Amino acid sequence: MTAHENGPAPIIQAHALSKWYGQVIGLNSFALRVMPGITGIVGPNGSGKSTFFKVALGLVKPNAGSISVLGKNPWKNSDLHTSIGFCPDYESLPADSTGREYLTLVGRLHMMHGTELSKRIQETVQLVDMGKAIDRKTGGYSKGMKQRMKIAGALLHDPELLILDEPLSGTDPLVRKDIIDLIKRLNKEQGHDIIVSSHVLFEIERMTHNVALVYRGRAVAAGDISEIRNLIDRHPHNIIIEGERTTALAKLLLDQDYVVSVAFNDNKDSVTVQVSKPDDFFNGLPALIETAMCSVNKMYSLDDNLEAVFRYLVGR
Amino acid sequence: MDLKSVLVGIFALTFHSTKKLLLGKKVIIAFLVALFVAAVMGYAGHMSDVPLEDGTNLMDTLILFFFMPVMAMIFGSSLIRDEIDDKSITHIATAPLDRAFSYLGYYLPLGIAVAVSMVAISSVGMLAFFGQHGVGSEALEIYVEFIALVVIGSFVYSSLFLMISVLFPKPVMVGLFYAFIWEGFIGSLPGVIQNASIKHYLRSVGSGWVDFGSISRWDEASGATGSAVLLLCLTVFFLVLGAYIFREKELA
Repeated sequence: MTAHENGPAPIIQAHALSKWYGQVIGLNSFALRVMPGITGIVGPNGSGKSTFFKVALGLVKPNAGSISVLGKNPWKNSDLHTSIGFCPDYESLPADSTGREYLTLVGRLHMMHGTELSKRIQETVQLVDMGKAIDRKTGGYSKGMKQRMKIAGALLHDPELLILDEPLSGTDPLVRKDIIDLIKRLNKEQGHDIIVSSHVLFEIERMTHNVALVYRGRAVAAGDISEIRNLIDRHPHNIIIEGERTTALAKLLLDQDYVVSVAFNDNKDSVTVQVSKPDDFFNGLPALIETAMCSVNKMYSLDDNLEAVFRYLVGR
Repeated sequence: MDLKSVLVGIFALTFHSTKKLLLGKKVIIAFLVALFVAAVMGYAGHMSDVPLEDGTNLMDTLILFFFMPVMAMIFGSSLIRDEIDDKSITHIATAPLDRAFSYLGYYLPLGIAVAVSMVAISSVGMLAFFGQHGVGSEALEIYVEFIALVVIGSFVYSSLFLMISVLFPKPVMVGLFYAFIWEGFIGSLPGVIQNASIKHYLRSVGSGWVDFGSISRWDEASGATGSAVLLLCLTVFFLVLGAYIFREKELA
């Protein structure tokens, strides 16, 4: 999220933000600028995504650093909640209430009442496709229905900013697709700025190209997803090649300047190659295979999981 | 935020929490207490030769002395803590209502729920006792006086136990200690030490009102008006302190 001097103001601006709970560090000198649109916050479980949201919502107070949300300090600033809708990653629906009762309470807490509230509830449940289940107890909802109802609660007062913490968590592929489409629609058609978190990079990629990677309480990278991919590509990748006569291929690979190391695995026909420039590696590999007169049956990267990507980015 | 918006928010929370409290599982406890009180007072009424004296003493001991703080503790000591623990407090914590006002939105329903339960329990006890001797004007007077006392007690104790529910991570333990050890034991010791309990001032107010039973002849009673003012001040103090703690609290 590169800041443009004459561009729109950032929705959230965090500077050297730290939050710890006793011995546990939630955020560690966390710095991030979130611009309007959809922004994905990606990080493994326990990386600090939810803590960042809690600080942004004024639910917890940072121990150090500063944060401004829509230009205001969120701590003890309840007025700010008129402009923010929050969908938490945990169960927060009152199990003994129906969806309508829950939305009515949320609406009234946002100073809505009467026909205005009834109309808005109807609009919102239609938007999240929960019209048929609105009068059922939320305790009987499926995971996907609960997520939709929580999103409805966040949307009800038509906030400028929506914060959705892991909205796809625990949902099946069909529900995921629906929620992803809904999030895109909420931004495109309704004009909401949305911050959405996930621990799965490709899910976020389906919603937005603006991504911030969070790891161990820090925003380790932020920007367009292609920039992040380039950043990732500048770090060594581990690639496993399985086939026949891989020893000859390994010898040739060792002579290439983009190869950092080659190691044989337990299975002698399998080698792990660490490369510094993946693009050069993939471009040059066919010629090397031909020269070594070997055959490759299978090739895959060990670095597809997000944890490995984060380890690269923090230099571990 | 204007006053109307604040009142709408407080009303919404009051309505929601009152319904939750009065239709929740804790009402079963109130029902069982009412059954117990009916059985004890019914039997006592059957055996009594001086019903106005005995009935008043039972209302004093059973209702005001024992069940009043216990019921407030049962309803109030975990009200906010439960919502913090199960995270259902999120939609309140992220509403555009200052937490001090949200706190009031918890206090009012708590006071109402405790008062409704205690009025019901007191009514059942009174009917079980005086129903056997005929409810005359004097019995009715005792009933009205005790109803007024339990309503006052409900709002005073609610302010205390609600504050405990935001101040301590294990509020039920603290509530049990206060209701049974402090109010039950310290509050019944002879001498000025008993002045350090809410019960002392509540009974002192009752002492100025009620014309029957040992409460009317209670030597250690403080002045009724002074006690009423002190109870009001205590309620306001607990409310302000609780609201301040809740406002400063991190809801992680």
